[in-house]
Amino acid sequence: MPETEVAARPASSAWQPRSPWEGHARPGRHGRAEGAPGLILQPRGRSGLALLIAAPGRDTELGNRLAAHLGWSLPEPGRTRIAGERGLIWAAPGQWLALAEAPEDLRELDTLLDGVAAVTDQSDGRAVVRVSGGRAREALAKGVTVDLHPRAFGPGRTAVTGIAHIGAQLWQRDAEPTYDIAVARSFAGSFWDWLTAASAEFGYVVEPGPRA
Amino acid sequence: MRIRCPYCGARDNGEFSYLGDAAPRRPEGMAAEPAQMFDYVYLRDNPAGAIRELWYHAAGCRSWLVVTRDTRTHAIAGVAAARDVALAREAGR
Amino acid sequence: MSTTTLTRLEGAGPAAAPPSALRLQPFRTVSGGLIDRCSPLPFSFDGRRYMGVQGDTLASALLANGVRLVGRSFKYHRPRGLLAAGSEEPNALVELRGGARREPNTRATVAELYAGLEAASQNRWPSLALDALGVNGLVAPVLAAGFYYKTFMWPAALWERLYEPMIRRVAGLGRAAGADDPDAYEKVHAHCDVLVVGGGPAGLSAALAAGRAGARVILVDEDFVLGGRLNAERREIDGSPAAEWLSATLAELRSLPEVRLLARTTLFGVYDHGAYGAVEREGDHLAVPPEHAPRQRLWRIAARQAVLAAGALERPHVFGGNDRPGIMLAGAVRTYLNRFGVLPGHSVAVLTSGDDGWRTVDDVAAAGGRVAAVIDTRAEAPPELRRRAEALGARVIAGGHVAGTRGRLALASVDVAGAGGRTERIACDCLAMANGWNPLVHLDSHLSARPVWSEAIHAFVPGPGHGHGPDAGMRAAGAAAGRLTLAECLETGGRAGAEAASACGFAAVAPAVPTTDPEGVAHVPLWRAPRSRGKAFVDFQNDVAASDIELAHREGFRAVELLKRYTTLGMATDQGKTSNLSGLGIMAELTGRTIPGVGTTMFRPPYTPVAIGAFAGHHRGRDFRPTRQVASHAWCVENGAVFVEAGLWRRPAYVPRPGEGDWMVSVSREVETVRARVGLCDMTTLGKIDIQGPDAAAFLDRVCANAIGTLPVGRCGYAVLLREDGLMMDDGTVARLGESRFVITVSSAHAAKVMQHLEFCRQWLWPGLDVRMASVSEQWAQYALAGPRARDTLRGIVDPDFDLADAALPVLGCAAVTVGGGIPARLFRLSFSGELAYEIAVPAGYGDAAWRALMAAGAAHGICAYGAEALSVMRIEKGYPAGAEINGQTTAGDLGLGALLAADKDYVGRLMKDRPGLADPDRPVLAGFHPVDRGARLRAGAHFFGLCATPSLAADEGSMTSVAYSPTLGHWIGLGLIRRGSARHGERVRAYDPVRGGDVVVEICPPAFVDPNGEKLHA
Repeated sequence: MPETEVAARPASSAWQPRSPWEGHARPGRHGRAEGAPGLILQPRGRSGLALLIAAPGRDTELGNRLAAHLGWSLPEPGRTRIAGERGLIWAAPGQWLALAEAPEDLRELDTLLDGVAAVTDQSDGRAVVRVSGGRAREALAKGVTVDLHPRAFGPGRTAVTGIAHIGAQLWQRDAEPTYDIAVARSFAGSFWDWLTAASAEFGYVVEPGPRA
Repeated sequence: MRIRCPYCGARDNGEFSYLGDAAPRRPEGMAAEPAQMFDYVYLRDNPAGAIRELWYHAAGCRSWLVVTRDTRTHAIAGVAAARDVALAREAGR
Repeated sequence: MSTTTLTRLEGAGPAAAPPSALRLQPFRTVSGGLIDRCSPLPFSFDGRRYMGVQGDTLASALLANGVRLVGRSFKYHRPRGLLAAGSEEPNALVELRGGARREPNTRATVAELYAGLEAASQNRWPSLALDALGVNGLVAPVLAAGFYYKTFMWPAALWERLYEPMIRRVAGLGRAAGADDPDAYEKVHAHCDVLVVGGGPAGLSAALAAGRAGARVILVDEDFVLGGRLNAERREIDGSPAAEWLSATLAELRSLPEVRLLARTTLFGVYDHGAYGAVEREGDHLAVPPEHAPRQRLWRIAARQAVLAAGALERPHVFGGNDRPGIMLAGAVRTYLNRFGVLPGHSVAVLTSGDDGWRTVDDVAAAGGRVAAVIDTRAEAPPELRRRAEALGARVIAGGHVAGTRGRLALASVDVAGAGGRTERIACDCLAMANGWNPLVHLDSHLSARPVWSEAIHAFVPGPGHGHGPDAGMRAAGAAAGRLTLAECLETGGRAGAEAASACGFAAVAPAVPTTDPEGVAHVPLWRAPRSRGKAFVDFQNDVAASDIELAHREGFRAVELLKRYTTLGMATDQGKTSNLSGLGIMAELTGRTIPGVGTTMFRPPYTPVAIGAFAGHHRGRDFRPTRQVASHAWCVENGAVFVEAGLWRRPAYVPRPGEGDWMVSVSREVETVRARVGLCDMTTLGKIDIQGPDAAAFLDRVCANAIGTLPVGRCGYAVLLREDGLMMDDGTVARLGESRFVITVSSAHAAKVMQHLEFCRQWLWPGLDVRMASVSEQWAQYALAGPRARDTLRGIVDPDFDLADAALPVLGCAAVTVGGGIPARLFRLSFSGELAYEIAVPAGYGDAAWRALMAAGAAHGICAYGAEALSVMRIEKGYPAGAEINGQTTAGDLGLGALLAADKDYVGRLMKDRPGLADPDRPVLAGFHPVDRGARLRAGAHFFGLCATPSLAADEGSMTSVAYSPTLGHWIGLGLIRRGSARHGERVRAYDPVRGGDVVVEICPPAFVDPNGEKLHA
């Protein structure tokens, strides 16, 4: 058995992955019907997500290797460095989430980081939803205990926290504002129920999600 | 109640779970005596005043923390990562 | 009311009032106030229809209609009217709305009127005016303080049968709706630099100072109109009516982007480190909240600084008959006059102990009412005030007090004892009481800050050390700080706001203090009338009279905490807002001490009652707590699985087939299918932890009680985790994926706890080890495939390159494979059923596909899905301990795992597992049990006794922990813990279960009932 592995969907398989949002997210306009929607909810597809855990005292070397090979620098606690759909998100002391378009994009990390960090694939473990719109902060404040005010939180910031009793990590992508929120896959249904209940008074649009 | 996690910032106490006094040191190794272990597991001081205690940032970064709290007022004088405290303790051993 | 208004009302559509209804607002003034006389609002009270106007509370609307009697008192069922105009109201507790929206115990003074409001009085039968229990007043001597402790004591047998049911019927306030609340409630988390509690002149000045400096400000006020007493008094600021200052200030605050004004929001609790709780009644003033909007929101506010500007509450006078409807606080009278355009009476008398009460005289006269008399309890009435009152035709009595009142269901007259001992009767239908003001120290004392006595205002004011110093600072301002005049409110409010903002790092300055019209504050409180006739109430809501305090004094309950508990003073839902200080004042007189010498009362959250629904918010019914779905959830739903809650998980319990009417038929069929052919079970709920690093093996050897380091790569093993106190924490499996990489699985229920424990070991106990842990519970869907045809089924999805033969993947082997054409998977030869079995893990996104592929591949082999019930039956048949046995009270030795424990290494729990109590050979240990009568049913929870023993605690030998009907054996079987059980196989005992009427003779046997030598496992 190899020491590490990163799940990927090979072209040869006929198996279809299933999105954690399937059966929960219904595309279209919901909640308050009048006026412009206050929020846009976009269930995200199966992207690459891996947890990097630095060996004790090897943070700098981990950063150097990522910078040299991928051009990524290691964000400080509570910060992200994301360009497009790729980048790094601080997750815990000495731990970062690596983000990529597809799980197989992260395969190289295993060998690249051998000896300085453990790589654990989490591409299937999290359900990610992108939340944006003028009322996003107000809706999220119904469950997010972290201060999301622009003076306290902004693009490039992340928080690991609980939302409506569900463990979650959120990060802000832009000042619109747009947030990505990742929850454990098995909680996707309950999280969706909370998110849509919180958004209903503002009116929200669910964008068509990917099948997986 | 709010606790300032050194990594995540101030968070509601609902994100944390409590263990207790950080003072007892686990007697390590095969040479440890049962009586020492008994003290470590069961005997606790109950000071009226400052106490250093272990909290776990369960809903956040999963760091164990050493929180210095006044039991009379709940005032928190400081929070440190338990791992850093433990490493410093080992270095000073 | 003017004719023009009448005409407009009549033309206002179907909601408009018939002229008769308008004539029923005989106490409404012609003009003035913050009401819209052109917006009539029909409502009902006790089934009678009335008309109020926009801007009314239920209380002001009732008063406008001449309704004086609004409730019956708690103990004596005395007729009661409105005492106050705000949330301190003790009497007018009403039920609002009907049907599922019915809400009991709301104060009519804070219920905002809306069209169609249905309200009802409480605590009366059959009606408010004719209350059968009013006779309680006749037996009042029996119901005095402490009657609960003295009466109903004897004979004891009558307590349960008679006294308690009787008390329960008579006592209590409103009725709960008894149906699910159809409305939504929400929680909101907010953060700010400066939280301002109170929207009166002090609070608004504070918000202005902080807001202008750029601080993030939240101002909350329980009222639906901001302004506090500015709306209730006729005052001037900078030479103009105060309303002009108010509207300019509100306009400026609303223009500041970082200032949030929350009306209808009660700050009910202050918690450590700048945490506050508030409830916003967003939809309570509407018959039905708009679609998608909540009725109430619970605000959890984290504030760096706070300004307490909640104002002050006026104190009533204590004299005989002071609870007759029509007797009110003077400030409330002015509020009804000035804010609501309601005359609380046609003929008003004023009873005051200070200058402040005299304001009422001018206000009544200005509104067209008659001032019958002013009774000033001080020896001298201020000459200027006396002249003005007398000019208005009022009788002025200085140095007097009220010695009694008359009137059946409402006040008709008061008997006034003058300074010379002469008593005169003064006809009036309203008595306004002014006896000084108590600063609202409630919120300040939530964090145990003790209020201090102020001789200047004869009241408690916030003490030093609010909110534990400047770190979580709360500073009081205005009336809440004991600075009662308008000028002081504006000045201290602005200063407190500026200081709070400065403490947050903003360059803030207090706004210029405007000038105000003069006001007198001279005041000498009178805690009770020296002589009066009838019950003199101190605590109106709990019916505590001055005589009860005298009784407590005579019987020695003089300390404030004893006084309170003995008399129930201040223990009603209003927490004694209007009564505590009078009670202390009377006790001080009786004992010859000062009031601070008697003590003070601290307050706890909530400031006013908060609906449970607000605390629950989103989390009720289906959303009571989050649920987790297993990877095969969609298939299970499609196939009619019955789910069971296991922690947060919804697991399939069994998957019935058509015609299976009973759950046991389905479960037995699933077990039989696994034992004869093959079954598939979702094990995704298992906790899975990936452990990597050079010290991973050493780490696991320290956290597990059995040897791990010697496990070869590509093999799985059993893992026993102990707590440091020597008891079992959990068991699981550990698979060595590489030299320095392991994955351990732990039971679903313990997953989070075990992860926390492992992090504790890694970060705190052994920080020097290079171990990197990650939960992969959610990354991998994991299924158990069990039964003689498991390998054949598996072959259908594992890619052809991988050898599944016993030699290639023996029992306890593990391997990385691919499935479904290249999808990586992990394969473990683990069995929880005793059959040839595998656990296969696939990336969770492919969990659904893998499940369906396995069901398809197994179809030819007779596969069925099996759930948690069949899983449990088979593990009991095999005698494997699980959650019911690993229950926090058992050791590894108790469960027959003692031989696995390593002797040559240190690990968590090593020393403590050997302490005398745990090493006792007499401890209950794991054994199997089967009924001697094979047809008998076993029950988990039954206790074991010798066949001849009488059941007693001393004779208890242990208990049955798990039972199942074994389709394999055709009878019930059980696992249990019984003293020396492993040495007693073959012995018979009673399994005694008096709760469910079970008493079965069982035979003790080895715990493994099926295939004890594990032959099937190795097939």
